[in-house]
Amino acid sequence: MNLYEYRIMIVDDEPELRRMVAGFLKKEGFVQVVTAGSCQEARTVFEREHPHLILMDVMLPDGDGFSLLRKLHEKSEVPVIFLSARDEDENRLVGLGLGADDYVTKPFLPRELILRILAVLKRVYRVRDGAEDQRVIALGDCRIDLRSGVVSRQNVRTETEEIQPPAEVTLTAKEYAILEKLAANRGQIVTIDALCEAVWKDGNYGYENTLIVHIRRLREKIEQDASHPRHLLTVRGLGYKLV
Amino acid sequence: MKKSVSKAHPIKLRILSYSVFTFAMIAWMTLTANLIIFFIIALHYQQYRPAYITGEEVMEELTQNEQGYVLSDRMQWQLEEKGQWAMLLDGEGKVIWSYAKPAELKDSYSMSDIARMSRWYLKDYPVYLRVYDDRIVVVGTPKLSMWKYNVSFPISWIEYCEHIWYWLLLFDFLWILVLAVIFTRRWSKSREAARIEWIAGISHDIRTPLAVALGYADTLVDGSLLSEEERQQAAVIRHQCLVMKELIEDLNLTSELESSMQALRKERFHPAAMLREVAAGFLDDAEEGTLEIEMDIDRQAEETVLFADRKLLVRALRNLFHNSLRHSEQAGAATVRISLQEEKRFCRIVFSDNGIGYSEEMLCRLNGRRRKQPVQNIRGLGIVCKSVQAHGGKITFGNGEAGGSYCEMRFQKSCCKIRN
Repeated sequence: MNLYEYRIMIVDDEPELRRMVAGFLKKEGFVQVVTAGSCQEARTVFEREHPHLILMDVMLPDGDGFSLLRKLHEKSEVPVIFLSARDEDENRLVGLGLGADDYVTKPFLPRELILRILAVLKRVYRVRDGAEDQRVIALGDCRIDLRSGVVSRQNVRTETEEIQPPAEVTLTAKEYAILEKLAANRGQIVTIDALCEAVWKDGNYGYENTLIVHIRRLREKIEQDASHPRHLLTVRGLGYKLV
Repeated sequence: MKKSVSKAHPIKLRILSYSVFTFAMIAWMTLTANLIIFFIIALHYQQYRPAYITGEEVMEELTQNEQGYVLSDRMQWQLEEKGQWAMLLDGEGKVIWSYAKPAELKDSYSMSDIARMSRWYLKDYPVYLRVYDDRIVVVGTPKLSMWKYNVSFPISWIEYCEHIWYWLLLFDFLWILVLAVIFTRRWSKSREAARIEWIAGISHDIRTPLAVALGYADTLVDGSLLSEEERQQAAVIRHQCLVMKELIEDLNLTSELESSMQALRKERFHPAAMLREVAAGFLDDAEEGTLEIEMDIDRQAEETVLFADRKLLVRALRNLFHNSLRHSEQAGAATVRISLQEEKRFCRIVFSDNGIGYSEEMLCRLNGRRRKQPVQNIRGLGIVCKSVQAHGGKITFGNGEAGGSYCEMRFQKSCCKIRN
């Protein structure tokens, strides 16, 4: 099933907000959007429509979203994203402890909400919507297949036609972990700490020098000129960025 | 990074301590009430005290002539009115004079009789004795009119009581002081809580309509229905909605921090990593060339561990960033310099920029020299101050010699290492 074919239910007591969210969800391409204004209505709509994902306000006129979630979860493991007008952490923790999949504080940008909905849908229903393509990273003339950890170069041709690097190289486990982390946040800075955390499961700074060595090796494999990287950039003092 | 083991509040212990406190309060109040009532009763004694004639008064009105003793008519009348009687005993214990003496009483008394009646009663008549030379005047009141009890205490005990007395007074004074403080604090706390709840309620009510406004504004900006100019106007609405969102969050946080109701969710973390994370976020969001960040983190400081509310400090840093970005617009590109140093038991974070710097008045307010001033337009930085102070840290704002401003924060570092 396509991601946009999943049925989404909006539960909020403010009709204008329901209309607005339903509006931009439909505009985004979601074809099946249903709404409810109270716990009671939500249960009826839930029985009838069997939504695949629920956007739920924490405070409803006839009860709170948390107990509604508990009731609904007795019947099915439907993913829920809470929309709350309170940014207190306690609510958040209770919500997530109950099995809510995400939490968005009002007011929110429609894009933000849509990204979260898509992320939850992908995670819960394991939709491989274009995911296959994302497993292959294209960096200039270099293609990195994250499924096999193989870096392949096309048209590697230096002007003097001297020693050519092999057309295909494999990544080591550490290099793979670094690249995977960078690719997941492509275009954004990944701090040294986040990289160490991803590679060694330890945010400790002691690995920085080792990290530098690994980055250097990685550049030799993916960059045309490792000394003047064009894709794996260093952000001085902060971390690295894959562009 | 591992979160420290932060124990949840043992609710049972809290209930127990609360009930013990309540019990002590009630007990103390009951005791105080009893003492007050006792005092009032003691005051009423005057009202009940009978004006009985004493032996002394009888003796003053008793004259001796050849026939014997004669009591004045006035005294006789007074004794009669009060139902009293009187008698005079000589050195041998013999009755040598009496007035209205009940028939059941003897005419002569032994030494043991006298000893007994001086302490207690004479045939159930409460009697009062007074010695004149070798004679004893006995004045009796009607049966069941007075309760007599002989009281005696060891002197040492009386001295001990005198000694204790001062301490008791001191203790009472302190106890009243403590109770007064506790009551006042509870009262002000509940008022604070009500205020915070009120602010939280208001911000809650604002958020939903704001969400609708933001949502539609965003749709208009991205849509193709409007002209370019109208789209720009919609973008302004969207931006202002986001500013309002920040304001509401700041308002909530300020009210909580001001009343120190915000419970710090402390965890152990490396401040260096936190600084990099925040800086990276801002660098990602900034347009190319508008923001430059210099990180200056000591080798040693990399290992520094803080035990603090990471989220709150991130928030504070973000506010500093926002402030720097806002006040550098005229200057073009903002340069932010973040340094982290380790100093014995502290770690020092200095956040500086190349912006327009703080005005003299602003510095006075930020550095707490004019605390009484309302913190309206320094709300964003007010949160920075309060977040640092809530952690027991020190914060100083200032202007750099070569322009720009700086904010120096000092925190006590945690001596524990983070283990994974």
